[in-house]
Amino acid sequence: MEAEIRNRPAFANIRVTLKQGDRLIAESGAMASMSSTVEMSTRFNGGFFSGVLRRVFGGESLFINEFTTRSSGEIVLTQPTPGDIECIELKGNTLYLQPGAFIACDPTVSLGMGWAGFASFIGGEGLFRLKVSGQGRVWFGAYGGIFAREIEGEYVVDSGHLIAYEPSIHLRAGMAGGIFSSFFGGEGLVTRVTGPGRIYMQSRSIEGLAAWTNAHLW
Amino acid sequence: MTSELQFDITQRPDFALLTVQLQKGQKIFAEPSAMASMSNGIRLKAGFKGGWKKTLGRALGGESLIINTFTAEKAGEVTFAPGCPGDTVHYQLDMSTLYLQRGAFMVHSEGVELSGKWGGAKGFFSGKGLVLLKASGTGDLFFNSYGALIEMNVEDEYIVDTGYVVAFEESLDYDVTTVPGMSTGGKIKSFFFGGEGLVVRFRGEGRIWIQSRAVNPFLNWVFPFRPVQKQS
Amino acid sequence: MNFKIDCRPAAAVLNLSLDPGETITCEVGAMIAMTAGITVETTSHKRGKGGLLKGLKRMFAGENFFLNHFTARHDNQTLMLGPQLMGDIVHHDLDGTLIVQGSSWLASDEGVELDASFQGLGKAIFSGESVFWLKCSGRGDLFLSSFGAIYEVDVDGEFTVDTGHIVAFEDTLDFRIGKASRSLIGSFLGGEGLVCKFSGTGKLYCQSHNPPSFGQMLGPKLRAR
Repeated sequence: MEAEIRNRPAFANIRVTLKQGDRLIAESGAMASMSSTVEMSTRFNGGFFSGVLRRVFGGESLFINEFTTRSSGEIVLTQPTPGDIECIELKGNTLYLQPGAFIACDPTVSLGMGWAGFASFIGGEGLFRLKVSGQGRVWFGAYGGIFAREIEGEYVVDSGHLIAYEPSIHLRAGMAGGIFSSFFGGEGLVTRVTGPGRIYMQSRSIEGLAAWTNAHLW
Repeated sequence: MTSELQFDITQRPDFALLTVQLQKGQKIFAEPSAMASMSNGIRLKAGFKGGWKKTLGRALGGESLIINTFTAEKAGEVTFAPGCPGDTVHYQLDMSTLYLQRGAFMVHSEGVELSGKWGGAKGFFSGKGLVLLKASGTGDLFFNSYGALIEMNVEDEYIVDTGYVVAFEESLDYDVTTVPGMSTGGKIKSFFFGGEGLVVRFRGEGRIWIQSRAVNPFLNWVFPFRPVQKQS
Repeated sequence: MNFKIDCRPAAAVLNLSLDPGETITCEVGAMIAMTAGITVETTSHKRGKGGLLKGLKRMFAGENFFLNHFTARHDNQTLMLGPQLMGDIVHHDLDGTLIVQGSSWLASDEGVELDASFQGLGKAIFSGESVFWLKCSGRGDLFLSSFGAIYEVDVDGEFTVDTGHIVAFEDTLDFRIGKASRSLIGSFLGGEGLVCKFSGTGKLYCQSHNPPSFGQMLGPKLRAR
């Protein structure tokens, strides 16, 4: 199954060419356009109850879509925000994603929703994380540009900027500075990540955009 | 004079990210909430830089009263990004002055002084007018745009909608006015319907920086998506 | 009219050079910068037609449809225009009719007639926001903007697009609003909402990103109105 990430990095989208027998798993709402020969079916993402919890807390929809074709066809997948898309090839390893970052994957990849822990929640990164593992390609996106850091020791990430991390990374919630500085200084709570391992960040955050917008509203 | 600060601007031009490498003891000053990530050995302190007089000036300039100081207790990096999509650019001040519109300022090094300057906008109806910060001294300045950052040389006269002005050099004369070539009926309608109510007319010679997107049209677009206030 | 589109594909601006007497029409709020020898006239909907009331209704519904007509009075006049959202701008040489998604119309010259009462596609109810469609007809320069990258599809047969991704299409195409998947439940819960199935032959402009999806993600985090 051929896939190409186009229009990087500002408005990245994925053009996938499907042939008979190919299956593409994608986040609901990701389809922008498709040939009339491509069929879409919707199914539950994992178990029903965990799905309900996800819907209420995780913000990720209950459903994912599966695209197939009886002959051949093309589909363009996108994400709600402008920004870059990255493709990672899993070879038996695991990666944790912010639920909203997931766009699509090969059917051989396992998707599971996991509990991210209160540290993640307090640090502004959400209660849940999506665990992707197995073999195959995963496409995830960001609001903004994607940049990575190899962490040794500790590193501080402002809330809303962390999009993915390896399982060896440990998260801890913290303040950006002292109490006065953290809140007056506008940084508030942050996530302190401890390595060794790799983290992926985005160069903008929806929270940052909302704060900028709100500052201009009267 | 070249910068003593080690920095890199990546993810340009649409989601620019500023990464500054600080040596032990080095300081950098930033707009609140601009920090995206930082190494463990960097200490953040919020404060009122420059004392009360300068602080009030900054309040009139539209920037918040607070300036964040990042000091490297151990060498490390800090990354900065604004809330809106767009570009970030480095400007070297060398015993010189640059005027910036509110919201454009992000980071400056030691040696740079920021103060507010009321741009003399006509009327508050447009909501913004032209509210400026003055950056002067010798050092590094980093400012942002919403959208692309376009640098232009003004040679005689040029008109820019107030929402799109990012920065301009001191050598230019400017005044804030309604669109000069607009008929009266048009002026009144435009004023109320969120259009080109106010523009800046630049005269003389000097550089200006304008941005390719503005917050007011974005607010108009986002309006229907905002939560509705519940009537109690 | 000479034009140049810069800062593509994500923060595009339209740079126009106008000869004396040349006029370009765009939505109020689109002007970024200009030289001093240009005059502006504001009308609602279309010059002489439509009236103030229709425009007011649109404004409170969150859609401004007031037009500015910029005319050069001297030589060497330039005008820079930009749309509301991040994204691209494309030029279309109009000779016929193009149906344009309301917020994707950026500017057009006097040869292009604008009709904002086109109801053919109805309202995209499921995507939570009503969209208005502009029928552009005649001969002239037409400039479209997009949220995202613009891609053109030469439809010959059938093609499916999520309604939020349509920028413009030639009126030679037939279209049908439908569900993305075979079952209605699947479609609605699958998040695709309504899709537009085009058939026939004609040009279709699509955008890579969906303004209502972005608005619905950002909206809840904003101050109430």
